[in-house]
Formats: sequence, C-alpha cells, structure tokens
Amino acid sequence: MKKLLGVALGVLTAIGGFLDIGDLVTNAVVGSRFGLSLAWVVVVGIVGICLFAQMSGRVAAVSGRATFEIIRERLGPRAAGANLVASLLITVLTLTAEIGGVALALQLASSVEPRLWIPVAALGVWIVIWRAKFSIMENVTGLVGLALVVFAVSVFLLDPDWSELGHQALQPRVPASEDHATYWYYAIALFGAAMTPYEVFFFSSGAVEERWTAKDIGQSRINVLIGFPLGGLLSVAIAACAAIVFLPAQVQVDSLSQIVLPVALAGGKLALAVVIVGIVAATFGAALETGLSTGYTLAQFLGWSWGKFRRPASGARFHLTMIVALVAAVGILMTSVDPIKVTEFSVVFSAIALPLTYLPILVVANDREYMGAHVNGRVTNAFGLVYLVIVLVASVAAIPLMMWTGAGA
Amino acid sequence: MILSELLDSPVHDDEGRRLGFVVDVRLALDGPVLGLLASPRVVGLLVSPHTGTSFLGYERREDQRPAVLGRLLRWRHRGTFLVQWSDVTLVDDGAVRLAPGYRRWSATLRRTTS
Amino acid sequence: MSRVRRRALPFPADEPREELPPPEGLVLDARLHLLDRQVLDVDGRPVATVDDLELTTPDGGEHVDGGDDAVVRALLSGPVLGTRIFGGRPPVSRWHRIGWPDVVEVGTVMRLGVRGDGLDVLWVERWIRDHVVGRIPGGRHDPE
Repeated sequence: MKKLLGVALGVLTAIGGFLDIGDLVTNAVVGSRFGLSLAWVVVVGIVGICLFAQMSGRVAAVSGRATFEIIRERLGPRAAGANLVASLLITVLTLTAEIGGVALALQLASSVEPRLWIPVAALGVWIVIWRAKFSIMENVTGLVGLALVVFAVSVFLLDPDWSELGHQALQPRVPASEDHATYWYYAIALFGAAMTPYEVFFFSSGAVEERWTAKDIGQSRINVLIGFPLGGLLSVAIAACAAIVFLPAQVQVDSLSQIVLPVALAGGKLALAVVIVGIVAATFGAALETGLSTGYTLAQFLGWSWGKFRRPASGARFHLTMIVALVAAVGILMTSVDPIKVTEFSVVFSAIALPLTYLPILVVANDREYMGAHVNGRVTNAFGLVYLVIVLVASVAAIPLMMWTGAGA
Repeated sequence: MILSELLDSPVHDDEGRRLGFVVDVRLALDGPVLGLLASPRVVGLLVSPHTGTSFLGYERREDQRPAVLGRLLRWRHRGTFLVQWSDVTLVDDGAVRLAPGYRRWSATLRRTTS
Repeated sequence: MSRVRRRALPFPADEPREELPPPEGLVLDARLHLLDRQVLDVDGRPVATVDDLELTTPDGGEHVDGGDDAVVRALLSGPVLGTRIFGGRPPVSRWHRIGWPDVVEVGTVMRLGVRGDGLDVLWVERWIRDHVVGRIPGGRHDPE
C-alpha cells in the first residue's frame, strides 16, 4: 500500500510539475491562432522528453553522473563550454520568465502591480532553495500544480464543437489567416516548450540528489511514462481552451489574463481562483527548477561541489551562482520587460540549444563503462536516433524561421 | 610538459610529410608506483586525419552503439592509427615528428578492466 | 578543426593494422578517459575537474623529448582550462596540481585518497564559504 502511494505521489508530482510558463504561454498563443492544428507537435515533444528524461535519469541512477558532467566528459571543454554559455543564458532567461509568471499570477489574484511582486517571488524562490529539502520542495509544488487540471475541466464545461476540435487536431492544416512559415515557427516553439533542456539537467541532477540507484529506474520510468503524457494532455487542454474562446474571434493571446479567461468563462470565480493557485504553484516550482539548474550546470561543468543535499556551506560556489542568477533575473524583470515576451523567446532558444545537450546523453546511455548492463536497448536507440535528427532539424531551422517570420508576428 | 601541448599537434614522418594530428595519447598504468596506483606511462600517440569528432571515441571501439553512429564515425576517422612513443623522435612546440621506419598500429582500444 | 586530406596521406587509409601487444596494467586514452573527468575526494566530495595532465620523465624532469619515457605526474585544474580552450600555457605556479600519488581509483570518476580540505585547488570554494555563504543565516545548517 505504501509502495502504491509512493508511485501515485511520483506520478501526480510529475503531472503537476510538468507545466511551466513556457507551456502555458506557448500553448495558449498557438491555440488562439492555430487552433489544435499543432497538437501533433505536443505529441512529438512529449515522446521526445519522455525518451530524453528516461535516458538521463537512467544514466544518473546507474553511473551517478548528472547531465552536465557528462556533457563535458563527452564533448570536451570547447564544445561543452559553448554549450554551457548557451544553456546558462537560456536557463537564466527561463528563470526570468518563470519569476515573471509568478508575479503576473499574483497580480491576477491581488491586483497589485507585478513589479512589486517580482522581488517577493525571487526572495521566496531563494529561501526555498536555501533551506527546503529537495523532496519536499518537489512534492509540494508538484501536487499544488495539479490545480491546473481545471484547464481540462474547462474544456468540457465550455461545451465546444468536438468534431471541429478533433478535425483540427487529426487533420492539421495551416489556418487561412496564417502562413506556413509562421506555422512551422510555432511548431518549433511548441517543441522547445515541451523539450526544455533545463528539465533534463534538473531531472538527472535530482536523481543524484535523491540518491537513485538502479532499483529506482522502474519507479522513474512509471513517473515519466504516465506523468509526462498526462502533463502533455493538459498542455493540449490549454490550447483547446484558447482555441474555443479566441480562435473564432481572431484574438491573439498575449497576456496571462487572457490565458485564464476561458477558465473563468467556464467555471466562474471558483475556477479562476483554482487556476491562479495552479499557475502560481507551477511557475514557482519551475522557478525553483530553473534556479537550481543554473547552479547545477555551472557547478557540474567546473567540477564544483553541488547539491541541495549538502548544506550551503559545503556547496558555496553552487549557492553563490544561484543567488547571482536570481539577482540577474530580478534585474531583467525590473526593466518592465513583458514576461510573456521573454517566455516566447526562451522556448525557441531552448529548441536551438537542444542538440548539444541531447547527443552526449545518447552516447553515454550506450556506453558500457558508465551503464554496465543498463545500456540502451535497440528500441530506445532507434527512437533515440530518430529524435537526434528531429532535434537537429528543429535547431537548424529555428533562427531562419525566426528571422523570416519576425519571431512569429 | 602538459598534455594539451601534444593534443591537436600536427604529426609528420621523418621526410616531413603530413600524417594527421594527435587526437589522443595512449597510456598504460605500468609506470613507477608512487601512491596506490602505478603512474600512467605514455605508450603511444593516436594520430587521425581529423581533429573533429574523435572525442567520442567511436573509431577506437568495435562494439559501441548506436551502431549507425559508430559506423559513420569509424568511416569518418579511417586512417587513424596508433604510433608507439618509442617511434616519436621529436616533440617540438606545435609539431610531432616520427622516426624513419615507424610502424602504424591499430587504434583499437581493448580495455583490461581494473 | 584541422584536417589532412586522406588522398594526401603517404599510406592507404584502409590498410589493415595489427593491434599492439597489450602492455601490463590498465590501458586508457588520456583525452577519452582522464581529461574532463570529475575528481572526488576520499569522502566523495567533488574537488575539481581534470583540466589537463602534467607529463614528466619518470624521475620528475619537466622537459620531455621524443623517445624519453614519459609518465603522468599530476592532474591539473584551474586556469589550465582557459588555455586548453583558447591555446597557450599558463605559468607552472598558476596550476592547481593534484599529484598522481593521491589518486586511488580511475573510473568514470577519479577518486583521491585524501580529503579535499587540504588541497590548493579548493581555495576559492573555502574563501566563498568563509566570506559569503557562511555569513548568510542558515548557511551552515542542513536543509530541512
């Protein structure tokens, strides 16, 4: 019984912790402009992140090595250094977006200006990173984040034209009001939102934090293979809500209040309260993850002592890095830049940086010296190679499409 | 001398012809025992026509998977060979010279597990 | 990235080559197995990453020429990383050395037989601990 509870906790935390501001914004924007015609990208992205997270979790559990340590060991300092700079910039950008998301959500709840919430949110994130135990942090934010299920409920409450939604999803077509280049640009953005690199840094470092061994691989497999797809279903629900409410009116979503409007329409004030709680939890949780990831990536590249399982004094440079990253994020947000815009850029840049992170994991997951008997099977490798190609194509196509479409304008 | 002075250096034979670049240094733990382990002794240099992707090591191991990637990288790095340290006559800033009559050995690495 | 055209090579790229008779002891390739590996101290705490290796003659002579026996004397960390990426060589006094006698295990990580506290290579960590992190409330306590 206890085991079952443990499994359930793992899965629920995975679902609730899956969504972040990137998923919220990108799915809502895509829903409002393209309906569900990009839903297939979410499927591709979910399979990809399941594959990627599973491999890196297995590598961390069996070899005790977290992702960025492996990136440096495999790519050498020059390529890994370039990867580090890119990953750090993107992770700090994502951290900025997440803290902005927390502030925006708190604004919705309180009508207090976001700029006042930003330092509060950042301080909150720092205190949790400084003092809270890793597992408690993960479980609380993951479980409260489950409140976002209200998006799925709202889809039903809004009584949509199901055949129309199904038609959009299963027979994707570029809507008349958009052109093909923009369609593919948003496909890459959506892919990047699902396959965020920081998720993998965090997942594998977390495996080392929680001292996983080969025995834990089974549990992690369940969490990933059940939790992530259900989280992906929630992403599609967000897109569906936006599609139902905004697509017919040809309104493009560009603020958090618009993202939650369908929920308010469907379930009134109660649903709105629930969704705000969910967004605060999900973005706060993601801010914790990205904040920790800045520390993980730098410390693992340079060989520093790291980990929340150690007291801060035993991971001094690791904690200092995160403090600096949080200060930088607050600094960026205080310039009144729109966190939604920051989010949109962070997901595309995530897609661009993906190959450099993905290739070393694929290589190490096959290396018997690290993995012993737990090397990739044929099926995993087949998928792994297919996704290597997908990830490369998305990465190479991102910048030209961004320039061609003016970042999706 | 530090290792990175050797890595990526061009390699010439005794007539000055280019043979490739040093992509790695092969060591064996059979040198003088100073602490617990024997010191690693330089056995030879691995020379390859490219300095690119050899860091992944696929051209030196027969059984590395994914098989497709392995075959691709082994093909890309054909012409990689091992030369014994005793066949190296000159190690200068920026270039390595081999003795006349040096022998090219297979680059394959068979690890004896400790 | 540098390259030599395979057609310009004075030997056939595909020629069959014999394997060298294996020497005694564990055989490994420096860049593939030693460089960029994490170094842990005797308690399992990360110490540094191997940024470079110091090669000397068996009796410790710094200048190694072709034909002399060469051994790895120490693991190097620190400013050597910058020069490894960009080129050049920092003066010996700036290297953080971890002598080979301190190494007890070579695997996917390198393990030392000594505690990290005494090693030069961790002086920045100690400094930040004492002057920054240690001064913030709660810094010296375990997470709860």
